[in-house]
Amino acid sequence: MQSLIADYNYWIYILLMMIGLYAMLAKNNLVKKVIGMSIFQTAIIVFYVSIGAKEHATIPIIAHGSGHGAVETAIDVAHYANPLPHVLMLTAIVVSVGTLGVALAICLGIYRRYNSLEEDEIQEQLQ
Amino acid sequence: MTIVVIILTLAGLIFFFATTVGLLRFPDFYSRMHAAGKGDTLSSLLMLLPLALYNFHEFNIANLLVAMKILLIGVFIFMASPTATHAIIDAGYEAGIKPWTKKPEEES
Amino acid sequence: MIWQLDLSVLTLIVICAFATIMVKDLLSAAIIFGAYSFLMCLLWTEMGAVDVAFTEASVGAGVSTVLFFAAVYQTTRRVGIRKSGRMLSKAIGLVAALLTGLLLIIAEADFPGFGDLFTPASLHVSPYYITQTLHDTNVPNMVTSVLADYRGFDTMFETAVIFTAGLAVIAILRRLKKEDRCDIPGPYVISEGYPDTIIRFVARQLVPFIQLFALYVVAHGHHSPGGGFQGGVILGASFILLAISFDFKVVLGIMNERWNILLGNIGVLIYAGIGFLCLLLGANFLDYSMLSKVLPATDKIMARSHGMLGIEIGVAIAVMAIVISIYLNIVSHGKYDKGL
Repeated sequence: MQSLIADYNYWIYILLMMIGLYAMLAKNNLVKKVIGMSIFQTAIIVFYVSIGAKEHATIPIIAHGSGHGAVETAIDVAHYANPLPHVLMLTAIVVSVGTLGVALAICLGIYRRYNSLEEDEIQEQLQ
Repeated sequence: MTIVVIILTLAGLIFFFATTVGLLRFPDFYSRMHAAGKGDTLSSLLMLLPLALYNFHEFNIANLLVAMKILLIGVFIFMASPTATHAIIDAGYEAGIKPWTKKPEEES
Repeated sequence: MIWQLDLSVLTLIVICAFATIMVKDLLSAAIIFGAYSFLMCLLWTEMGAVDVAFTEASVGAGVSTVLFFAAVYQTTRRVGIRKSGRMLSKAIGLVAALLTGLLLIIAEADFPGFGDLFTPASLHVSPYYITQTLHDTNVPNMVTSVLADYRGFDTMFETAVIFTAGLAVIAILRRLKKEDRCDIPGPYVISEGYPDTIIRFVARQLVPFIQLFALYVVAHGHHSPGGGFQGGVILGASFILLAISFDFKVVLGIMNERWNILLGNIGVLIYAGIGFLCLLLGANFLDYSMLSKVLPATDKIMARSHGMLGIEIGVAIAVMAIVISIYLNIVSHGKYDKGL
């Protein structure tokens, strides 16, 4: 049962990545392609975060009692979720919003020049 | 205390369910937004209140702070959600969506 | 790690992803994308990634949706039907996606189990981060200490990437001279946007509290989920709220183009400047423990904590300015005359 739950998770992440890939390749509208790119990015981010999750682990913030200078109790590694994928994915999310802004700006530039956001109409006008 | 939390959470769930049913079944844009706006705000507040009350199991400053923060979120939702509903309905009115009127029965 | 919650939220996420790319209206696609982002944020909170969920809630479900709206406002809303080659493009897309998916599933058989304690990702460096962060830097939030201190170079270049994205949007869209503006059809506008009392009043009441909350998030990055990015994005979102509820020119009066670029610069400069200051004091670049010579009454451990706060402030300023700048450019198509 446990392995089926684990496999279900990974298969859903792969399914999300493939939805994003399909949208980027097969959709006609440019903004739909940008949405597909965003879906792909968030699917990869959820995959990374799932690697860092641990069973019965709490959030990666060391909770000490009120006031500083608490006695240094032994910090159990298995008690906290792995912070390293979280850090990398923070960078990834922020970079993805920058990429989204530039992609939408390019879409606007294309619309200004060709007066259409559909890929086949733009390719007709290019010929 | 736990009983109060459970009752409030269940009430919030019932109102959410009613909101969703209203969102799907009402015939007109305005009535749907009516259901969505009011039901959404009420059920969000009803679900935040037991979360704040649950922290009062132990009375210390940290739990009090957490409960205060949750209640502040409730105040924010109380102010912002009806305004958003108003904005959507106003936009629909400006776009010229006509309200639904009951059609007269033609076959007697 | 509640598997029932995992499965139900994942099912909803897949439904939202399908719906986003299938609807025929770009505004609906943007709204469903906002719901998809928010469900992702819920999933990550359940997995224990609170910082990532906070960033996704503010960035993905907030600013991204508004940017999509701004882009749709300046272009068209309908999705056209492809005239020629419809089957071919769908076939290519489907075949490529299926092949890649198959390869990934074959590779997935070797993955460690979900929630396993001994995955390779948790074995090498991360136990050091978990056990030593209080001892080295006196910051309880492990994600902030790894982001700002142990991996400080990554974050510095990430801030530079945000700044470059803002510059790229300005370079693509900005039209300064009148004769440079080619004839574009007007944006999709229903009415002229009369001043609405309720929305203006509520927005005017809420914006100071939103900004105060953003500053709280930046300052408390050491002890609770938060930090520079989230606070900066929330600050930028408060200005976008002002631009949407009031007139577009109001925000231009407060944060005009010169101030946006200048603040973006200052943010990156604060970050690199603190690093350079450490270099001048005789340590490596971005080694904050040497800041104890400059800051009064701090030892080396607290100096690292204060150094982290300093660069988080720099990151917040840069991200705020760039988010406002990207929004202003997209919603007015670079012309800065009227907007949403």
